[in-house]
Amino acid sequence: MEFQDPPRRRPPENMLPMINVVFLLLIFFLMSAQLVPPEPFPVEPPEASGGTDAEGPLALYLGPEGEIGYRDQTGEEAALAALLAEREALCGMQDCNSNPIGLQIRADAATPGRALAALLPTLGSKGFTQVELITVEP
Amino acid sequence: MNFGASRPARRPNLTPMIDVVFLLLVFFMLASRFGVDRALDLAIAGQGNGYSGPPRLVDIRPDGVALNGVPTAQPELAAAVGALTESTNDIVVLRARDDAQLQRVIEIMTELRDAGLTRLVLVE
Repeated sequence: MEFQDPPRRRPPENMLPMINVVFLLLIFFLMSAQLVPPEPFPVEPPEASGGTDAEGPLALYLGPEGEIGYRDQTGEEAALAALLAEREALCGMQDCNSNPIGLQIRADAATPGRALAALLPTLGSKGFTQVELITVEP
Repeated sequence: MNFGASRPARRPNLTPMIDVVFLLLVFFMLASRFGVDRALDLAIAGQGNGYSGPPRLVDIRPDGVALNGVPTAQPELAAAVGALTESTNDIVVLRARDDAQLQRVIEIMTELRDAGLTRLVLVE
């Protein structure tokens, strides 16, 4: 009888292709994604067709119960105070008089319309002139 | 002096680097938001020209709309409001009643905007 040689240790698999793919994914995510501050509470923007591209560094959150949040601050006073402080910091770096900073409102689709209506005059009195509501394409 | 025979160079261990790269990959997948958001401009009362012309108050209810207090069929709303305006720069006042949700308000706003009315002011 003849036995085969005992199996040798298999050579380690070549990992370079996998590393290539992973680096490719990494670079893809780095290029395509925008890092955003975490939202104070989850919101689902309402659906609307049309609209313009959203831009602007400030985003105020409006939850389904009409609650207001900015970054990690919730509650109207705390959120607005944090928002104004952030705007002050931004205005220190650029001229806000000739180029006012826009504000995005990320509101939930189930928010009472009255809550948004009540918020707008408050924002207007704080000096925000460009306010836009974030929507998603249906 | 006697040195041992030079060993063949060992390949560096790649596992820690792969760990780190995977960690970065997962971080960016979780921490980032994709896609470009759309946005609707909201008019803030008290800017630009003041209100002129006949009253144009649209009450938005979850199950219907009313123009100046008169219930109006939703498909005819844009035409009815348009009949009360002289130019597309005229202000139209929208009011959400009976806890109408934002999705409903946006629906009406989109309809009026498609009809060419650009200055929609949301009031309480």
